Amino acid sequence: MIKTSALPLGRISLLLAIVVWLALVLVDLVRIFGMINNLDSGIAEEVTWILEILFFIFVYLVYRHIFWKTRQSDFLNLIWRGVSTGLFAASAGLLTELIYYALGESKIGTDPFLKNVFYHINFAWTSAFLIATTLLWKHLILYQKSKQVVNQWQVFEFSMAGALFFVFFNHNNLDYSFLFGLVILLVISILLAVNLKWIPYLNFKEKWKTLLFLFLILLCAGFLFYRVLDSGNEGRVQINLTDNLFLMALFGFVFAYGLFSFLVTLFNLPTSSVFEQKLTEAINFQKLSQSIQPEESEEQVLDILLDSCISASFSDGAWIELNPKEQVQIKNPLRILDESTRGELIKLIPQEKQSWVYTSAAVILQPQTIRLIHPNYKSALLVPLVVNKSILARIVLIKEVKEGFNKEMLSIIGTFARQACISVENHRLLNQAIENERYQEELKIAQRVQKALLPLKLDHPESFDICAYSNTADEVGGDYYDTYQVDENHFVLIMGDVSGKGTSAAFHMAQMKGVFQSLIQLDLRPAEFMKKANAALSKCLERNHFITASIFEIDVVNRTFCHARAGHIPTLWYKANENKAEFISVEGLGLGIVRNLSYKNHVQEKTCEYHSGDILVLLTDGILEGRNETGEQFGNDRLKKIVEAHPQKTPIHLQQEIIDSLHQFVGGDGMIDDDYSLLVVKFK
Amino acid sequence: MLQLERKKEENKDILRLIGEVDASNSILLDQSMQEILEQGATVLLIDGTELVYISSAGLGVFMSYLDDFSERGIRFAIFGLNEQVNEVFKILGLDRLIAIVPDLSTATRLTHES
Repeated sequence: MIKTSALPLGRISLLLAIVVWLALVLVDLVRIFGMINNLDSGIAEEVTWILEILFFIFVYLVYRHIFWKTRQSDFLNLIWRGVSTGLFAASAGLLTELIYYALGESKIGTDPFLKNVFYHINFAWTSAFLIATTLLWKHLILYQKSKQVVNQWQVFEFSMAGALFFVFFNHNNLDYSFLFGLVILLVISILLAVNLKWIPYLNFKEKWKTLLFLFLILLCAGFLFYRVLDSGNEGRVQINLTDNLFLMALFGFVFAYGLFSFLVTLFNLPTSSVFEQKLTEAINFQKLSQSIQPEESEEQVLDILLDSCISASFSDGAWIELNPKEQVQIKNPLRILDESTRGELIKLIPQEKQSWVYTSAAVILQPQTIRLIHPNYKSALLVPLVVNKSILARIVLIKEVKEGFNKEMLSIIGTFARQACISVENHRLLNQAIENERYQEELKIAQRVQKALLPLKLDHPESFDICAYSNTADEVGGDYYDTYQVDENHFVLIMGDVSGKGTSAAFHMAQMKGVFQSLIQLDLRPAEFMKKANAALSKCLERNHFITASIFEIDVVNRTFCHARAGHIPTLWYKANENKAEFISVEGLGLGIVRNLSYKNHVQEKTCEYHSGDILVLLTDGILEGRNETGEQFGNDRLKKIVEAHPQKTPIHLQQEIIDSLHQFVGGDGMIDDDYSLLVVKFK
Repeated sequence: MLQLERKKEENKDILRLIGEVDASNSILLDQSMQEILEQGATVLLIDGTELVYISSAGLGVFMSYLDDFSERGIRFAIFGLNEQVNEVFKILGLDRLIAIVPDLSTATRLTHES
């Protein structure tokens, strides 16, 4: 299959146009020969018309192809194409005039055949120029397409196509129908000619060039039109190709749009700086609104903002003052002015307007104008930059004229400032998010380290089973449990809980482990253990922190345990022979509350005998204080009932039962806002 | 949620705790106690009649002032605790160090006597 784009459509059209034109010349010469010699050439005038129409169509195709290829180029380039064609056409016309002027009334000069050849050449160039310019105008008219404009253009194109064949109806007479058609086409042309939206997009320099080009096009069109009329009037041509509605209407359209464009461009010249200014503002705005990339800095945004404000207000000087509390440095805070002038000007600004205190009063946060009493500078504008409820910086713009800042400037500068502040704020939030991410990572490490502080394996003999569980409210927590085998027959269980939760509790928990692990080596009685632990922990705990702990020393030979409690939640003891659970009551003050030797008066120990099937549940207050949506606590009784209901369960299953019940009780809306741990022991 | 209300009656400063004291707001309790102490209070009573819950962090605040109280001879008591909150103080053993009494009149009497 042949690709359509591969076909040199432009060249084929050009070739065909030339062939048709040659045919037209030949046919017309034959006809003229017939007319002069009063012979019937046998060629009807319709043949000329058909060839003429074909010529128009091929020229149209040639230019359409050229414009289609260059549709990306800018306006000036496009217009230049029209101008160049026009200049060629006009030169051809001038050349013909010159030749005939030189020939004078000589034989060749009056030769009708030669005249006709020149006439055809001029006709071809004029048509080319008109069609090229019309296509150019189309491009400009449809620059900002709307449905309405496209429709208008289509109406025009259809009318033009009609005009092309009008010659068959009208037989090349300048009668009323011709005038009627011309008027209609001219009206449509003028309606189309108001679509001049491309002009504001030209900058000042481009407008001047456009004016020149348009002038040349108008000049060429005028000259060519004059020549067409001239040749028609003189009657030196027997075959008239140019009294054609299509051609005349094209003249009208080209001239109308050219003139409108010329005038509108001319009158747009003085306001073009405003349009350019708005465009610059839009670009600045875009620059400011692009959020700062992490590797870029707030300084860059402030820099762009300062420049944008200066260009938006045509300031004669400016500087940026940074809030001393902010850790932002800007390399070049001063623009246009020198340091000493700035010193002078700063003194002229009222002190209260230079405050860095953020107030919610909106007035302070808007750009404010100030009148200056200074030999050179007469007005100033203060633009505060507010980020996250504090004043980040203040831009001061200075002008040499009084009241130099109008309402539009204030509003655009206000918008710039707000946008810059949003950028800075976003930048900070992003950095904060990154920072938070890092903390999260650190906390995860802390969590891992802390998990390692709890024993993986619990020491226990054949004679009892044991299991433990711990959960933290935050990433890390303050609960601790451990087991220790003193000798073959003696085992120690410890559970501890640091007051509070979170990171501080976690650090104290680590200290607690150190103290407990050291003291446990000394083979102390439980009460003695607590006294020593109190003394040691008093030295390392913060003043408002304390630790509660429970310790059990189990003698598996005598089947007894010795227990001491330091402010900790009493341990639940299920007695198998009584089928009853109760909390072991023994007096004891938390560790680190009394930080002197008097602590020995506050702790007791108790030795109990246990039996096969007995269960001990050591726990922390997080379990008992778990609350449901009505604020009710899980409490002692629920725990007791669970244990009493499932005495046959193994420790691990009983533990799971307790945890499940707790979660069920707390439900989706309730909360366990504390670390909670469990240690379940079942004697065999 | 914790609300603190301060009231001065004769020589007594009464700090009323309404709601819950937990890890997040125990700092508020600490600040109030600090203020009262700085203003040279001699008798400080904590009104716990509307205290619903106190966590270990809240207990830590009271605990941290015990030395200050004894050093400066400030008489301190807590009254009106509900059963649940009272139990928390008891389990920790703070009832051995702080006068915890049923009502204001007992507290007043107690602080006058000592």
